[in-house]
Formats: sequence, C-alpha cells, structure tokens
Amino acid sequence: MQAADMSVAPFGYHGAYLRIDVSNGRVDRVPIAETVLRQFLGGVGLGAWLLLEENGATADALGPDAPIAFVFSPLVGSPLTTSAKFAVVSKSPLTDRINDSLASSGFAIAGKRCGCDAIVIVGRAAELSTLVIDDGRVRLETAADLRGATCGAAESALKARLGTGYEVATIGPAGERGVRYATISHDGRHAGRGGSGAVLGSKNLKAIAVRGTERCEWARPRELAEYSKALSARSFGPATAKYRELGTAANLLTFNRLGVLPTRNFQSGTFNAAPSISPEEIRQTHSKTRASCVACTIGCEHIYSLGDDNGVRLEYENLFALGPLCGVGDADAVLRASRLCDDVGIDTISAGGTIAFAMECVERGWLDEPWLLFGSGDAVLKAIDLIARREGIGDLLADGSRRAAQAIGHDSIAFAPQVKGLEIPGYEPRGLQTMALGFAVGGRGADHNRSGAYEVDFSERVDRKHATSDAVQYAIQTEDKSALMDSLIICKFLRGVFEDFYGEAADMLRLVTGWDTSAEELRETARRIVGAKREFNLLAGWTPEEDTLPDRFLETALDGDEDSVLSRERLNALVGEYRRQRGWSPVD
Amino acid sequence: MRVEFLGIPRERAGVAELELDAETLGQLLAVLERRFPALGALVDAGRLHPSLLASLNGDRFVSDPRTRLSTSDCVLILSADAGG
Repeated sequence: MQAADMSVAPFGYHGAYLRIDVSNGRVDRVPIAETVLRQFLGGVGLGAWLLLEENGATADALGPDAPIAFVFSPLVGSPLTTSAKFAVVSKSPLTDRINDSLASSGFAIAGKRCGCDAIVIVGRAAELSTLVIDDGRVRLETAADLRGATCGAAESALKARLGTGYEVATIGPAGERGVRYATISHDGRHAGRGGSGAVLGSKNLKAIAVRGTERCEWARPRELAEYSKALSARSFGPATAKYRELGTAANLLTFNRLGVLPTRNFQSGTFNAAPSISPEEIRQTHSKTRASCVACTIGCEHIYSLGDDNGVRLEYENLFALGPLCGVGDADAVLRASRLCDDVGIDTISAGGTIAFAMECVERGWLDEPWLLFGSGDAVLKAIDLIARREGIGDLLADGSRRAAQAIGHDSIAFAPQVKGLEIPGYEPRGLQTMALGFAVGGRGADHNRSGAYEVDFSERVDRKHATSDAVQYAIQTEDKSALMDSLIICKFLRGVFEDFYGEAADMLRLVTGWDTSAEELRETARRIVGAKREFNLLAGWTPEEDTLPDRFLETALDGDEDSVLSRERLNALVGEYRRQRGWSPVD
Repeated sequence: MRVEFLGIPRERAGVAELELDAETLGQLLAVLERRFPALGALVDAGRLHPSLLASLNGDRFVSDPRTRLSTSDCVLILSADAGG
C-alpha cells in the first residue's frame, strides 16, 4: 500500500489525511482544504469534521463501515509545551454518539511525521493485525501472536519487532473482546473514554505503529521558539504546582471535605476512608516517581510502586472510581485495580462506575453475585478481570452501566451512574450543579474534560448547590474553551497559566501557521466545533430527553447534605437556558 | 476559628489545620503569610494567588479581603484547579 503524492499545505500542516481501508488494503491520501483546517484546526475539531465527511454518524459503531480517526494538530511537533497530543475520534460503542478521547506523547509526533494531519481507518482486517505506517508506506502485519497481550506488553513487543523510530498505540484484551469502554494505550497513557479501543478491536487491529520523517515548517520559527521558551518558564509557576507536586489525586481530600466525592455508587458525597487512599498518605507508604509526556514541562504523572517492576500512574479519576465509588479504602487494592485497568485496556471511570452500580444491585438483591460487595478490593479486581474476559457477570458489565441496567431491570436505570451511556466522573452533580449541567448536555455523555464547569462551581460566581440560569453562560464558556484546547491541541493543565487564553491561542496559531488569527475568530471556531459534534449526534439519533441525569440525582438529596438537591425542574431549566443561549432549538 | 489546608496550601503550610483569630479574610491571610512564609508567597495584597481558593465552611468561596469572618467559621484554603 502506498499513499499518493504530497500537496501544498499551510505551515504547521501536511494538508491531507491518510484514509486506510484495512479490509482491502486501499490507501488514499485525501487533501484537506486550508479553509477546513482553519475552521476546525485539528484534534477533536478536525476529527468531528472528518467523521461527518466519512458518514460516521449513521454507521454501526463496531461495524466495518465505521471510521475511526487519529487526529494530530498544527501544534504537534512544535516546541510549545504539552503539544504532543493526538485525538482519537469515532462513534462510541458505549453511547452511540460522537466520542473523542485524547492521549499524549511520541505517537502524536511520529504520526504527524508520516506526512498527514490525520489517519482515518475503516474496514476490518482479515486477522488480528498491526497497522504499520512507515512514512507514507502502509502495511498490515499479523498480530496473532499478540492476542490477549496487555497494552504494555504488546507495545514493547512491537517496538522490539519493528525497530528504531516507531511509536505504537495498542489495545489490550478488553479491546479485542469488544468491551464497550476499552481504551487505546500509548506509552502508558490512554485515549480512555467512550470505547475507542473496542472500535479498533472491531477492525481486527491490535495496534497501530507509526514512523516518519516528514516535518512541518513553522511560519515564524524564531518567534515561535521564543514564545515557547517563555511559555515553558511560566509552566513552572504556581498555576501548575498541584499537578507537579501532588498530581490530580490531590482532589480526593478536597472533594471529600466539600462533600462532593462520589462514594458507593453516588449514594454519598463523603468517604470515611478517604485519607487512607489520598496521595498525601500513599506517598508515605509507597515509593513514588514522576514522569512527563514527551514535550511537556509540567510533569503531572505520579507513579507509585507496588514493590515490583511496574509502577502505577495514579490519577484522581482512577482513585475515585476504583476507591470511594466502590467503597474501597485500601490503597494497595486501588493501585492494583488501576494497574489492571491499564493492562487490559479499559477506562477506569466506566469500569469503576459499572462495578459500583453492580455492587448496589447486589446489595438490593437484584444480582446474584454475593462476592461483589462494596468495600471489597478483591471484588473490584475480580470484576475487572471478568470484564476484560467477558466471562460470567463480566460479559454484562462489559457493556457499561446503562445496558447492564436495561438487562437487570427493577428500574435500576434510576441509579446507573451515566449520561448517554457514559459513566459519570468524580464530581457529585448535586453538590456541583453547574457541572451537572455540563454532564447533562455533554455531547459524549457525562464528561469532565469536554466541559470544565466544575471550575465555575469552585468559584464565587455561582452557588454550587443552588445553580440558577446565571451559571449557564459560564458552563458554555468552559465547554467552548475545552473544544479549542482539544483542537489546537494543548494540555488543559496549562489553562491556569494563561491570563487571556483566546488571545494567546491566537498568538500561538499565528506563529505556527502564519494565519492572521484573532481571539474572536477562535471563539467562533470553538462554537463551530461544539456545533459539529452536535451535528454528528443529531445525525446519530440524539433526542432532547438524553440531556439529563439519572433519577437518583434529580429525586433525592445527597446523603448527609440535605442542602444539596438538584430537582428535575432545576436541571430542565438549566438545560433549556443552555439551548437558548446556544441558539439551538429545544427539539431539533 | 479553624483554618484547614488542602492540596498545595497544606504542602506549603506543613500542617493540615490550625486555630487562629481574625475578623476578616485579609487579616487571616496576613497571619498565615507571617506564620508560613512558603504559603505567604502565594498571598499578594490580601488576596490568594489565582491558583488557590478560600471557602467559608465548604459552602461559599470568597476572595474579598474585607469578607467578615466569625469565630464559628471554618475557613478552607485549597488548590483551585480541580481537574484531573
């Protein structure tokens, strides 16, 4: 397979994507007009455009016609800190809506050096395979010997087999078996949410290996180098100290103190054993190292030892989902569960949420799995293993909490912790009601990365337990800002560094592309990208009733905090105001 | 009143909580600035650096140095960036 000729492209871009049909081996180099690149940039924005172009909305998410796009950005490969990122965009097999997940590091740089701004894959290979892209040359190699291999083992084996210069993204056994929240892993990091690993698995692809030599030119390289140096210096300041010194896991004690730490499947907002699994405590009993993604100066990764060779990257979301959400207060158990999720390649939030949901069903006598009890670290480990194998109860839980609730019945959907099928991350919606709105209207479901509305709740601008329509404009602002950051792409952990984000984003884009981009143009771009994702969802069958939360959050106060009440009427009013401010018809 | 530190403020203060007297948020931060120089580096003109927040009793976030405090208040000083 050989891609066709290069075409003229703007600075920072190659001006084309590789379209690869793994059913028949056809490779096309498809030009992307500069107007499209300027309108959608890269990452999730360009990914949404590509999926619309490829008619991804109406395809079966796990069918051969469904496209999956690995999308780079104009900033990838530049000296800008945190810019080595890529987006994976597809229809989610968990939500049947658009899914865009991000991961970092060398795969982004090597992939872009293959001479393309994105790689779009359709079809289904005849056997379990590795897709190898070496500059413009594309081939499939058998991966039969890697069947069942963990993400890390598969990546190591392929790097050793293929030789120098390759970067590899893989799925684990969960992706091979179609677990609907399987991840795509690279260098220990995961494009985690929404099941992109299952999509890759449905194409019979165990991995993608990329290597290339095509470098983009920058419009103003000297000024870009100076700006990048200054930005890196700023990235060492107080705005990123939490990430450097404690990591995101530092949220745990704060959220517990504020009563918004989801516990026992969102039955409580506080967890008595939280201190015992906090990073402040774990670092006393487990040795720790720090790491960074390629081209990052922040270094947010805190890797804890379990006494063997493989450390565990601990993030707040892993910690909350496999700890308090399942009632587990044993640090070793949470670390082991987190590592197992990484090994088999499943999203920790959806895994923890679905297991916690099942634990509550067992507690109510609706599931006959007497071992699956809140508080049992062994049960969490066993459940993850069964999910990855799709064995026993694991086969049901591999489909996520919404489908599990539909199978279990008893109106258990009322407490299945999901929106549009995507499990809710570690922010209790009743105590963080601007975030509740962000979850409800999220295009890929309940999500803290595509809406940063929790920032609004953690401010003087709103009353977090009694949200009013005043909160809506702020929720929209965070959603738009996220869309732009995820399309440029730069890491959200930098956001506190910018005093004028849109202005500086315009500066960065000018230096890279030479475009006369303005802050106002980028605000419009952000809204366009949010709109493109909505367009995808409309084509995929979205209905207004999806923009809500499970009944538990709308009918009961938070346990121990009678002040934290989010009624159906209040959420509906917020959603209605959101649509009005977006200019979207309530029923379209 | 009780003052609790979470996240980076706890790292800088080196304690999880303490008791002290102050009539306003600005007075409280001035006391903390003197007692904990590492934390004080994140206080400027009676206000916390934007990377930090103050909360009254976990319910209301405050930043105005003139904010009145009562002896029954619990003031939380915490890291602002909640994402992760």
